[in-house]
Amino acid sequence: MKQVAAAKIRRAEMARRQARPYADTLAEMLRDLMQAVSHVDHPFMKPGKEGTPAGVILMTADKGLAGAFNSNVIRAAETYARDGGDVRYYTVGTKARNAVRRWGMADRPAWPLGTAAKLDTARAVAQMVTDDFTQGTISGITLISSKMISMMSQKPESRKLVPIALDPSFDSAAHDAGARGAVEFSPSPEFVLSRLLPKYLEFTIYSAMLETDAAFFAAQLVAMSNATDNASKLIDELTIAMNNARQAAITKELLEIVAGAEALGVE
Amino acid sequence: MANVIPFKLITPKQVVFEGDAELVIAVTTEGEEGILPKHAPFLAALKPGVLRANVVKDGAASRLELATSEGFMQALPDRVTVLIDEALRFEDVDVAKTREELAAAIDRQKAEGGDPAAFAREQSVVDFANAKLRLTGSH
Repeated sequence: MKQVAAAKIRRAEMARRQARPYADTLAEMLRDLMQAVSHVDHPFMKPGKEGTPAGVILMTADKGLAGAFNSNVIRAAETYARDGGDVRYYTVGTKARNAVRRWGMADRPAWPLGTAAKLDTARAVAQMVTDDFTQGTISGITLISSKMISMMSQKPESRKLVPIALDPSFDSAAHDAGARGAVEFSPSPEFVLSRLLPKYLEFTIYSAMLETDAAFFAAQLVAMSNATDNASKLIDELTIAMNNARQAAITKELLEIVAGAEALGVE
Repeated sequence: MANVIPFKLITPKQVVFEGDAELVIAVTTEGEEGILPKHAPFLAALKPGVLRANVVKDGAASRLELATSEGFMQALPDRVTVLIDEALRFEDVDVAKTREELAAAIDRQKAEGGDPAAFAREQSVVDFANAKLRLTGSH
């Protein structure tokens, strides 16, 4: 189990690394655009309809045997729901689906995490939340998933995806971009942005899926390595107990024989 | 050395091409757009189509032709980058399967009955399928 996780983590990490250049370029394009667009008329930039439930994409692994990996994420969602009121779930990963069913919401859309076509899954998720958001069924889109801090540590993280809050780094980055001179957009910055934002949402979900995948195998590796250690320790303790018991039995038998022989007066 | 510019073609799954290009022609939403070295900074949305480029890799010039789905093209003074959902080479296209996809998408389009968003979505599938067929010469 430990070896299996170790082999899989390498593949998951590779997939993450290969998605990196796309992420960087997409972020860069978005920065250029934000700088060029003075007024953005896109649903993603506007607050959602008030009084509707918050949309939450809950993302876990499909399987367990990874310590508290899945339950940490699920607990984060519970905390979020307690603070935020009404929540409408979209789940990725079997464990997330089961948790949401346990809470009595059996009919929520669910996708598995561990498929070969992660990109298609991400697209389907993005499509559904986008439709629900633009039709005013949900007031926003939040993603609750695992963040991989290191091989040893994963932490649940909730990120607000929509409405898009521009992080302050965009401003400082805009100055760097300014040095490149005016960028020409075809057909218009607004149009390109309206194409780019859904793509950005889609890709954020995709890369969260890759991260969850990698984090899951890392958590499983640690959990399984702990299990192996604990089992070896238990085996050692039991071996000593068994040897003690056997030695005690032998000693007792010898004493009985010696005592019996003495009683019979055998020299 | 010919007049070239660093060119990268990236999908979420991998970097499809990284090298130099003399010319990159992509299908933007406004029509085909060719990028030569020293193009003014430029950012365009791409629609599904056949992307062509004269590329130079490891000193050898060749022609790159790919069927691409939706994406973006960015030209900067020092590089050209194309971000695309999917990019297929000639040998990666499954003609029979593509024909099925094309027929299915057209059927769905007819069945949708006038929802513009759904129509546009299927149109992108149709365009990509057509691009794949055009690339393989079986259009």
